[in-house]
Amino acid sequence: MVMLDKDQMLHLAEKTVNIALKKGAAEAEAYVYEGQAANVGIERGQIAKSNRIIDRGLGVRIAVNKAVGFAYTNILKQQDAVEEAILKSLGAARASKSDPDWNGFPEKKPYGDAEKNYDRKILKIHSEDLVEFASRMLDAAVNVNKRVFPIEGGAGAAYLSSAVANSNGIVAFDRGTIMECSLATVAKEKNRVTPVCFEFGAERAYTVDPDWIGKEAARLAVSALKTKRIKTETTKLILTPFALQGLLHFTLINAVKADNVQRNQSRFKGRIGEKVASEHVSIYDDGLFPGGLRTWAFDGEGVPQQKTALIEKGVLRSFLYDNYAAKKEGLESTGNASRAGYLSTPNIEATNFHITIGNKTPDELVSEVDDGLLIYYLQGAHSSNPVSGDFSVVATPAWKIRKGEIAYATRGVMLAGNIFEALKNVSVVANNERKMGQLIAPWVLVENVRVIGK
Amino acid sequence: MEDILTNINEVAVHKFGAKYAEIRAQKLYKTMLTLKEGRVEAAKQGIEDGVALRVLVNGAWGFASVGSLNPETLKSAVSEACKMAKTASSRLKTPIKLAKSKTVKDRVRIKPRKNPSKISIEDKISTALSLNKAALGYDKRVRSCTIDYLDVAGSSYFVNTEGTRIEQDKLYVWSRTNVVAASQGVFTFSREEIGSTAGYELFDVKPPEIVGKTVAKRAVRQLEAKSPKGGKSPVVLGPKVVGVFVHEAFGHLAEADLALSGGVLMNNLGKKIGSDLVTFYDDGTIEGAFGSFKYDDEGVQTKRTLLIKDGVVIGLMHSRETAQKFGVEPTGNARAEDFRAEPIIRMRNTFMAPRDHSLEELVEGVRSGYYLKNFRGGQANLDGTFQVGIQEAYEITNGEIGNPVRNASISGSTLETLLKVDAVGKDFELSSGRCGKGQTAFIGDGGPHIRVNEVIVGGNA
Repeated sequence: MVMLDKDQMLHLAEKTVNIALKKGAAEAEAYVYEGQAANVGIERGQIAKSNRIIDRGLGVRIAVNKAVGFAYTNILKQQDAVEEAILKSLGAARASKSDPDWNGFPEKKPYGDAEKNYDRKILKIHSEDLVEFASRMLDAAVNVNKRVFPIEGGAGAAYLSSAVANSNGIVAFDRGTIMECSLATVAKEKNRVTPVCFEFGAERAYTVDPDWIGKEAARLAVSALKTKRIKTETTKLILTPFALQGLLHFTLINAVKADNVQRNQSRFKGRIGEKVASEHVSIYDDGLFPGGLRTWAFDGEGVPQQKTALIEKGVLRSFLYDNYAAKKEGLESTGNASRAGYLSTPNIEATNFHITIGNKTPDELVSEVDDGLLIYYLQGAHSSNPVSGDFSVVATPAWKIRKGEIAYATRGVMLAGNIFEALKNVSVVANNERKMGQLIAPWVLVENVRVIGK
Repeated sequence: MEDILTNINEVAVHKFGAKYAEIRAQKLYKTMLTLKEGRVEAAKQGIEDGVALRVLVNGAWGFASVGSLNPETLKSAVSEACKMAKTASSRLKTPIKLAKSKTVKDRVRIKPRKNPSKISIEDKISTALSLNKAALGYDKRVRSCTIDYLDVAGSSYFVNTEGTRIEQDKLYVWSRTNVVAASQGVFTFSREEIGSTAGYELFDVKPPEIVGKTVAKRAVRQLEAKSPKGGKSPVVLGPKVVGVFVHEAFGHLAEADLALSGGVLMNNLGKKIGSDLVTFYDDGTIEGAFGSFKYDDEGVQTKRTLLIKDGVVIGLMHSRETAQKFGVEPTGNARAEDFRAEPIIRMRNTFMAPRDHSLEELVEGVRSGYYLKNFRGGQANLDGTFQVGIQEAYEITNGEIGNPVRNASISGSTLETLLKVDAVGKDFELSSGRCGKGQTAFIGDGGPHIRVNEVIVGGNA
């Protein structure tokens, strides 16, 4: 299949801005997006499906009298459809209300280096290769133990590109690649089945190792076969990136978004420079992290992505801004305007939310815990209170640590606490970071969390 | 349109060796609004044309999605889908087969009393503004209010190689109100979603003034709440929590794909796993409900499916693929979010049937426990571990509803918990929501008030 090239995308974006201005827009912005993906899917122990998805479209944002309209279309080949989108965006702006805080689209600025976000080799992956990756994962999983049942997973390769143009002179194009393999497993014995265990690898370069994923997904499931109940207590938790990902996304990451701060729905309002976490916690939002899953030269508004200090040695440093929130305070955007392809207007979102590593190995971390839990998968992280940071979730399976060793698995344990309290109770950070969606994080040891057993 | 699609299907069979092929095409128009404290962030409109092709070649699925109705593009996509399927089939152990499904020729028209496409953006903004005003104006401790609005209108086409040809109108109206209240360093959060497949009359049935006030009141009330005590406890669940409980603790396990993947219902078909009071349905036929439609995305007519009756597991929710494995009829549960996604088994409107208790009677029976009135998300696991987050709850002391508690959640094991449902109310309420299973589906869920004599409450007090 053919991709739109740089010139085609830039031309469409620029042309759209020009037409919009001619039709009466005071300001205009066009965002052109293309995503192409191929996947081979595993279902219930076998490779049974495949898909090829091509999605491209155009989003047009227009301001008239400080009122903002937006329209999108995925019909790019017809000039009249593009014009219809422009007119719809204009109509929406005219129907909308003026916003005194609207201070225009961003200005042009130089871009930094978005390193290692594109690998030609990923473009050359064929469906036969994907079948091969998926088979290797399956074989690796079942070879660990016959009781392992791979329920779902797959191997995929994707190409993404975007172009932005606006009436302030921004004209930009970027593209990248992603390769991903994943496997969800359960282990079965007689009438018993474990909770779902999951491993994956996602990279911008052709470096994913399907064998490791299969083996690890199986190892976790088998180790969860025999479980013991634990008692209700206040204890130590080692949170792996799996657990951190959901918890932080629905709580802490909201609290560092400038719009939430401005709108009085962040506990961090007015606390820049204060200690909000233990000294072991340093967090950066790094939109240029080499090979990061959210690494791009620019954000959804064409603003350069950058590295922003959020928390340094426990001290709150700054927040994440898009252009609107930044201008409202007379600041510059931090390049955190995120879009759902061409379908949405920009929203503030973390890029690569990077928790800095410490110097203990994961084994050392475990060996220092006399009594605690190792937490991988959480159920219900999305039901956390997004403002107060309170969470009440289920860890299943989780592993009990006794006298510095992983002793046995447990299931259905509830964890109840508050993320802002938990940040203050981080006592050790390991040195084993990995990428998981928007998170780059190591294992983290948190003291004093309430655990409800059976 | 349908002729082009039929043609492409024939290409799949005759040129690329597909045993079966189906095409879904959609032409959709969307209007979206986001308001923050009454400020319209952007008024948004979208146009989406797209086609999804699915083929069975050598017993494996191939799927292709393109945002175009152009015949040449479709031919190249179908060739791609067939090639991918053929490659994928190289390691196949058990070829996929489909259960028989009635051939259908139908044209489904929706005639809303108030068609969202005929309502101006100005009017939609003013509806959202009334919601905002009711919420923000309720109490000065309400600090912020975010309103999202969405309507979807258009048509979808389904054509397969068995002769089924369906044209079906699509119509959804939905809004979500999020409110944050704060006082003396305490932050509370409250959320309400409403939705309909009937039309914009949703806002006559659920007036914005009332919805806004309800959400704000809940957030303000929570300011005085305290944390619940963690541990086992008897609970009375309100209809909204029952809906999510039915959906998470049982519904997902009754999706046949998850049952086949090792879910705990697989070994319990026909067995009694709940108390006599437990009867659940998944029903796609309720007029105007958020999870209703006439045909699913495999062209199978929707129906009312009995899942569990008086505690005995009766049936599962099926696609044509899983129905064939179980030797039953497909239930019309195969749904795709849009042309970018393959149909998978999804719930429609899932609910518990009411019985004969009043709320007072349910509460009377609890000496010390919680009344859980409204939820905030939930999640299921194959082994039957469920979690439901709670956004509104109260203590029950000596049979009386008392002080509010905040940020609780409940959990348990499905096979144990359904046996512990010991009284079921006579009221009934169906709510609208969205469910994520890789794709998002619009669903309904609900039931009466019920009492469960033991779940685990997650709290840190």
